Amino acid sequence: MVLQVNALSDVVQATILPEEASLANADMFKEEMITLIAGGTKLVILSFENVNYIDSSFLGSLVVALKYAMPRKVDIYLVALKPDVKNLLTLIRMDKVFKIFKDYKQAMETIN
Amino acid sequence: MKVEAGKINIVFKCDREEIPGIVNLCLDHIRKETHVKPVDLLTLAKLKWIITELLTNAVKHSGMEECTLTFEHDTEQLVLEKEDTGKPLMLFENNSGKVITWPLSGLSEPLEFQIYHNGTDSLKVRSTEPDGAAFFVEHLDDVQMPGLLIDTSEHFGLLIMTKASDEFTYTYDPILKTNRFRSIIYLKNSDYEA
Repeated sequence: MVLQVNALSDVVQATILPEEASLANADMFKEEMITLIAGGTKLVILSFENVNYIDSSFLGSLVVALKYAMPRKVDIYLVALKPDVKNLLTLIRMDKVFKIFKDYKQAMETIN
Repeated sequence: MKVEAGKINIVFKCDREEIPGIVNLCLDHIRKETHVKPVDLLTLAKLKWIITELLTNAVKHSGMEECTLTFEHDTEQLVLEKEDTGKPLMLFENNSGKVITWPLSGLSEPLEFQIYHNGTDSLKVRSTEPDGAAFFVEHLDDVQMPGLLIDTSEHFGLLIMTKASDEFTYTYDPILKTNRFRSIIYLKNSDYEA
């Protein structure tokens, strides 16, 4: 299991558990994200609070999840990114396609 | 792992589970090697991303059981190299879908094409010699649809390594049948000293 999930009414808060978000768990992460999106939620708020290390394979899975979510009108927000992780997303312009917030609280405030 | 003055040499067994550990090992030794004038945090982050993607590339694409990762530095630059005897570089030309494989045959003039774009950056490769390739990024204007939503993941690693490096190149040695990816980070704008 890669994600710890807290399902609210139309929102799912999902925390990535491993410190290392990498090739080793990218496929499992993708499957868990697709299951969440297919489950009928309107928004997945994905927390990177535990993630110290991320690679291109995991980022690829994140984009696959977004591509699966978009036609189903499901949003994915990213929260609690550590500086190295956020800088890497910025480097390859992924910050342009995901909404990024400081934490769950700030992300939830945008929908209330 | 072999450590000489100014040089670190690590044999990686192409096991994806070992990548985070090897990355941390490399970074620890790079910190030790550069302790007199430590490299800044952004440069260390770039080194982490490049090492991660070099090793990930080895697991996903080389088809070999091991590769060698080398780190060298002097007052001018930091150099990372990954060497293996696996499959030579193969890329798809983004526009035509044509497969290009190194070493290039019949190269009469420089070859240059786009590998991928993410809506803002165009990742390109240029070859002036049959056994070599240099990767670079050009800024795109007025592209509406982010390419990363069309063309997923396989090129993220290459894009990361190219953008994090000041120079990122590939060389094929036809005699030894080795592939060498080389990343250089310049230190000329910092006060770093070896």
